[in-house]
Amino acid sequence: MQIVACYSNKGGVGKTATAVNLAYAFATSGRRTLLCDLDPQGASGFYFRVKPSKKLTEARFFEDVEHFTKSIRGSDYDNLDILPANMSFRDFDVFLSKMKDARSRLKKALKAVKGDYDIVLLDCPPNISILSENIFRAADAVVTPVIPTTLSQRTFEQLLEFFREHDLPMEKIHAFFSMIQGTKTLHGEMIVELTHNYPKRIMAAKIPFASEIERMGVVRAPVLATAPDSPAGKAHQALFDELLERIVP
Amino acid sequence: MNSKSANYYMSVEQLSNLAGSDIQGLVPILDWDENEYSFAILDCFEQSLRKSQRLLFVIDEQVELLTTEGIILSQHARPDTRFVTGFQEGPVKEALTGLSPLRALLTVASGTMRNGKLSLIDNEGKTHTRAGLRELMPISGKAVVLITPQGLRGYDQALDDLTAHIRTSGGTPLTAGNLYRMIDHACVDYVAKPTIEIHQEETAFDTATNLIDSYLSIVRMNEYGIIHDLDTEFLHDYRIALRKIRSILSLFKGVYDIDQTHQLKIRFSALMTPTGPLRDLDVYLLEQESFYSLVPHTMHSGLDAMFSLMRSRRTDEQARLAIHLKIGRYKKEIKALTKLFSKKRKLKPGPNSGCTSYDFACELIWKRYRKICRLAATINVATPDQEIHQLRIECKKLRYPMEFFSAIFPQEPFDSLLKSLKRLQDSLGLFNDCVVQQINLQAFVDDLNDEQHQLEITQSIGSLITILYQRQSAEREKITNAFVRFSSDRMQRSFRTLFQSRKEF
Repeated sequence: MQIVACYSNKGGVGKTATAVNLAYAFATSGRRTLLCDLDPQGASGFYFRVKPSKKLTEARFFEDVEHFTKSIRGSDYDNLDILPANMSFRDFDVFLSKMKDARSRLKKALKAVKGDYDIVLLDCPPNISILSENIFRAADAVVTPVIPTTLSQRTFEQLLEFFREHDLPMEKIHAFFSMIQGTKTLHGEMIVELTHNYPKRIMAAKIPFASEIERMGVVRAPVLATAPDSPAGKAHQALFDELLERIVP
Repeated sequence: MNSKSANYYMSVEQLSNLAGSDIQGLVPILDWDENEYSFAILDCFEQSLRKSQRLLFVIDEQVELLTTEGIILSQHARPDTRFVTGFQEGPVKEALTGLSPLRALLTVASGTMRNGKLSLIDNEGKTHTRAGLRELMPISGKAVVLITPQGLRGYDQALDDLTAHIRTSGGTPLTAGNLYRMIDHACVDYVAKPTIEIHQEETAFDTATNLIDSYLSIVRMNEYGIIHDLDTEFLHDYRIALRKIRSILSLFKGVYDIDQTHQLKIRFSALMTPTGPLRDLDVYLLEQESFYSLVPHTMHSGLDAMFSLMRSRRTDEQARLAIHLKIGRYKKEIKALTKLFSKKRKLKPGPNSGCTSYDFACELIWKRYRKICRLAATINVATPDQEIHQLRIECKKLRYPMEFFSAIFPQEPFDSLLKSLKRLQDSLGLFNDCVVQQINLQAFVDDLNDEQHQLEITQSIGSLITILYQRQSAEREKITNAFVRFSSDRMQRSFRTLFQSRKEF
């Protein structure tokens, strides 16, 4: 099982859209996928029309593994399940450690319901805290969307700094440019500059600013499912393909 | 992730009713694929797959098996595959291991099909549960829809609601109903060994007549398969049914008028005669592999030539028998016999016709058993083959009435006696096969007239005969011991208790 965290320490960068489309792509590729909606401001559950689970907001949730497995909902797509949760960081931390530990009750419970997943995708909350370190340690890959603006550059560099300070393996970071507007000169310049500065951390795939992605909130389905041949659909597919190449051992 | 669940079937109308209204607040949505495929449902003549609650499909070049547990197994299949043994190795073939390798997979229904799904969605458009659909549109017969409910994780209630709704809308679990009959109401349910109801107090005349009537219908049901050479079991079952009829005529002495019995014996014997040569060839060809394993490799070319010759003779014999079964004379005769035993009016009762079947059975079985015991007492290692053959016939004469009348005796002690008899017969059968094959193989050699490979064939058959003789000798000792057991005091007491008790009261 691999854990892929969709993470950005800045909000509104297209993180949830990425999580939703990557989850869909993983599932379509035949991998049993669990998408965990961990972002209280995010809406990955919403995009799959799954209603939030009331039980999961309860503080003692993770003391009971059964509650966890019962809260998982099948999406409308094969191989793709959703955990619609608004977790506290404390719960999140426990969640990660249990996901990783093959001997944990959580792992066993998942196995028991034939939900031993190949990929667990985390739609993470947008901030850096002490506990984020645990996410970064647990995850096999941290996928980070970056809007090519100076402000995003700053937050991206803060993330890199955080990794350095906490002695985290930098190779886990897989950043890509998101919400690119071809008409903006600044975007073009930032892409060149950042790619030059961090050639290994930034992927080639680029997600454009596209109406299809915005419309995901209306159609409530991944772009890859509704408009796979649109520029945004193709861009997400390219992102998935590239990510797969980078993370599959 | 989907959980496995049962499969159901219903008519197209029932499906549209099912999808016509909300189910516990969820809206049903029907969605059909545009593609259509050709399909065929396959099963053996006796519908072994249906009776074991499974369904075998060929969809284009894919073969799919729906198991009792609702799991779909699939693998590639060549379109001309007629026997399970002809499938490539794969999950379907593996699951069908228990199916008779001798029975052809026949097309129960064929036509076009399309896939679809029925989803139950909530007010936000989220699917809570769905069912995979397969609409089968057969060339002839009624269209049906196969429904496989598929649960979505976390929505167990919706799955339960859908399943309940499928049932109330007329859906039948595949494991409980008869899908074939829904497609084609006239679909024949063939049973090679039917349970024929007999009551203790009914007359021997009625019993014999009902038995013959039932076996005649088996004879008739197998005609099509013989004519079209679907598999060798059709002829085998046809002959067994005829043999049973003939044994009823000779064992149920005095039940019918003596002259009529004599005439009937001749008529049924005449039906049997033309089937012999083809069955003999079938037996050899089915045994091919074991023959090859009996002789050294150097003799195999002779066997190749022999079997090739047999195959060509079989083609001729099959064609001859097919013509025989299709011509007016045969049809007229079989129809006349069928009518005679179904209408009963022209059957003339004999002196024993009024005996109750229970008394008749007791006397018959006891008499037969006593005769075997008397003969068995004289058996030893030096007994000529001919006498062992005679014992085999006597055992058959005991076996048939025991089978005919099994329903009117207490099951447990009866079955145990029957089992002992069967064991004895197995040994005798093996012995007899060895003897008969030696004779027949010798006759085959003698008949070779300047055939190509004559020398090779003769050599191979020579070594086969040697081995068969050795086997026969080995079996003889077993037979002697088996007879000692079968005629032991304990066994005699069991037979006496079961078949002589009423007289003693």
